[in-house]
Amino acid sequence: MASLAPDIAIANHPRAPRGDFAKIIRNPFVVATAYYLGAEAAFLVGTLSDKIFAPFWPPNVVLFCALLITDPRRWWLLILATLPAHAAAELRIGMPILQLFVAFATNCSVALINALAVRHLLVEPPWFGSIRKATTYIIVTAFLSPSLCALGGAFVQILGGGSFEQYGVYWARWYASNALGSLTLAPIAMICLEGVKSQLAAPAFRHLEAALGVAILVVVSAFAFEDLPAVATGYVPSLLYLPLPIIIWAAVRFGAKGASGAVLVVSVVLIWRTLNSPSLFNVGTPEANVFAMQLFLIGLSTPILLLGAAIEEARRAETTIREREERISFAAATSGVGLWQYEFATSSLWVTESCRALLGLPAETVLDLNALLSRAHPNDYQTVNAALKSAVRRATALEIEFRVQIGAEGDHRWLSARAQPVFDKDGTPTAMTGVFSDVSSRKATEAEADLQRQEIAHLMRVSTLGELSGGLAHELTQPLTAILSNAQAGKILLDQGHKRVADFGEIFDDIIAEDVRAGAVIHRLRGLLRKDEAKDEAVDMVGLVLSTQALMHSELVTRGICVSNDFGSNIPAVRGDAVQLQQILLNIFMNAMDAMENAAPERRTIFVAVDRSKDGGIELRVADCGVGLPPSREKMVFEPFFTTKKHGLGLGLSICASLAKRHGGTLSLQNNVSAGATAILRFPPPVD
Amino acid sequence: MADACFTTFLVDDDPAVLRSITRLLSAAGYKTKSFSSPQNFLVAHDPSVPGCAIIDLAMAELDGLGVQQELIKSGSNRPIIFLTGRGDVSSTVKAMKAGAVDFLTKPVEREALFSALERAAELDTLSRQKRRETASIAERLDTLTHRERQVLEHVISGRLNKQIAASLGTVEKTVKVHRGRMMAKLGVRSVADLVRLAEKAAIEPAQAPSA
Repeated sequence: MASLAPDIAIANHPRAPRGDFAKIIRNPFVVATAYYLGAEAAFLVGTLSDKIFAPFWPPNVVLFCALLITDPRRWWLLILATLPAHAAAELRIGMPILQLFVAFATNCSVALINALAVRHLLVEPPWFGSIRKATTYIIVTAFLSPSLCALGGAFVQILGGGSFEQYGVYWARWYASNALGSLTLAPIAMICLEGVKSQLAAPAFRHLEAALGVAILVVVSAFAFEDLPAVATGYVPSLLYLPLPIIIWAAVRFGAKGASGAVLVVSVVLIWRTLNSPSLFNVGTPEANVFAMQLFLIGLSTPILLLGAAIEEARRAETTIREREERISFAAATSGVGLWQYEFATSSLWVTESCRALLGLPAETVLDLNALLSRAHPNDYQTVNAALKSAVRRATALEIEFRVQIGAEGDHRWLSARAQPVFDKDGTPTAMTGVFSDVSSRKATEAEADLQRQEIAHLMRVSTLGELSGGLAHELTQPLTAILSNAQAGKILLDQGHKRVADFGEIFDDIIAEDVRAGAVIHRLRGLLRKDEAKDEAVDMVGLVLSTQALMHSELVTRGICVSNDFGSNIPAVRGDAVQLQQILLNIFMNAMDAMENAAPERRTIFVAVDRSKDGGIELRVADCGVGLPPSREKMVFEPFFTTKKHGLGLGLSICASLAKRHGGTLSLQNNVSAGATAILRFPPPVD
Repeated sequence: MADACFTTFLVDDDPAVLRSITRLLSAAGYKTKSFSSPQNFLVAHDPSVPGCAIIDLAMAELDGLGVQQELIKSGSNRPIIFLTGRGDVSSTVKAMKAGAVDFLTKPVEREALFSALERAAELDTLSRQKRRETASIAERLDTLTHRERQVLEHVISGRLNKQIAASLGTVEKTVKVHRGRMMAKLGVRSVADLVRLAEKAAIEPAQAPSA
């Protein structure tokens, strides 16, 4: 049987070249040959012993299997080809023509019904891949179809001279013979033909195990179905059970293939034992012996086939899950994503290989949350630890980005972690599922963009300070003047032989104080001129406003502008970079001053207010009495390169807005009701 | 060094700078009065005290040029030295046009400051002398009668007594008496002295009647 599988399988292959005439011709020929040989084998069993005859009719199984793997449009060819084989076999034993045709018709119908049912109900191989399929197969091919066709098959006996009163017996025999064929020979044939690589296919030792299993089963069965003494001593039931452990073992280890193979082995051994020596089943008339044997084998093979199918199904499900897991892992790995799941009940952590690779964790070690967290960069450890553990503890969604140290040289990669809790039906969290993805390249791009923004912001700072240079020079000149004059006064007093030491002390005190003052100016300037990485520190906005005003003091004086400050109490600090924040203030002040260039001298006042906003954040307002924003274009002032100044670049406010945004704040501008405009800088409440 | 009464008035709203320059000037022997507010300076200002003012150009309340304008308005011509943090051309021009002695850039060297102060002191002395002279002439002129004044105006226009008598509708003898009294009151001996005095007092000579 197995030898014709490749040819038929190729003919049935969807990609096989259509109209390959030779193959189409050859296949029915091979089938016909097999059909004939099957019939001969059955006859042979009948001739070898007078106690029994063949318990099932192999040609029906041959035809059924051939139909199953052939395109239904060519079934007629197979039927046509097997008719001569059938005729040849039956005529050889002298069967009359009518009897022969009835037999052929019933044989064909049982094969056709089985093939149709399997094709339509089981749809596709693996035929014994699930309990449902195996059950359907058994119900149809071992019960419905043979019992139906046996209604016709029983007439073969009657036509051969049997009595009509015996119709029921003939029916039962015909039924049992076909049912047994479907349960013993057909399953193993179908599995061998189905062309689906068994999930349990495996290395050499598996073949060895299979061979060993067959050998043991043969020996055990041969012993079990032995002779009369057992019948006499009443050990029959226990002996009959002997092969069962081996059969079950075969089913468990090899699934449907093992089950059906074991059933076939048991059947063959049973027939062989019964043919050659006295056995359990050759005590009555041949008909009774065979019928008993048939019933025994039907009863044995039905549950075994189902068991094999059940195991196959379980294995398949397992494999499917594993494959799915592998696919997900593969997809995750190729997209640079690492998956992890934390089980609350067991506190166990499962991670994909790619996840380990991302985090730089050794393969195959048992992990817990701490091992995972230990990979975080020392600078990020606290944040990640707190975020992850609190998300796990509170079963809330998590989203965080952090660095992982790679190698000893301080290299790191940026990972983004997202996690979601998984809840059971009652709403209690059972697990936390998350992904890690490598966001190093995005971070690098962001860092580059950030660097460029910083560059631009720095250039703008330098240019703003350039505009202020006159005033800034004055800020330095004042203390320098005081220092010089004090020193010169001291020199004169010294030359005069002045005796009061206290006067020199005062002079030195003043020199020191003024030097400190000059130093402070330079310090502020250096802060604004330098190009450091942005810091993250608590910045006192009131202090910053005062420092900025000190820097601009001379400019304000020169332009004849007064400043009116109104600071609230308990103003929280803003987290961020003092230089960047001061740049915003500087820009706002400069705008206010420029806006009042042509204002009447008595109106030149800048009103500054810093206070807590309603939401607990910080609000800074800088109002001027100048020209105000250009009407109808108030929104445009934040657009890059939009300017109302003669020599403006139009970048100041757009940069300030982005600086404010980076600190989580907003910068807005609005016209005052009376005159001028107000710049409003808001920051959210500080996060604790 | 100027006379003992010579005072330098310092105006700068930066207390540290004010204190240091005051200290320097005091050490150098100047009598100084310092003001951190330009308004206070203007209110307290006494033009009769000899001296000069050193004023910072950039002040929040009222800038240096404003102080200069206020002083000029009040009729004082106190010499002013400006101090500035930046060499601003337009401010310098304005200040110098309005009669500033000097325009010094901070931080100021003492030599520059002292030499400016010397010049300021000279200027102050000169202007004070001039003022004093003008005042005494005016005082003497005030003692003249109407007729004597008329005679004065005719004398300095170089006319003879006879001609003056004719113009004033009197006799030559009377003119001679008036002339003698006028010369005595004014304390001049010659017509040449009289002409110089009249010039200082900006007295216009009388117009000769057209012949």
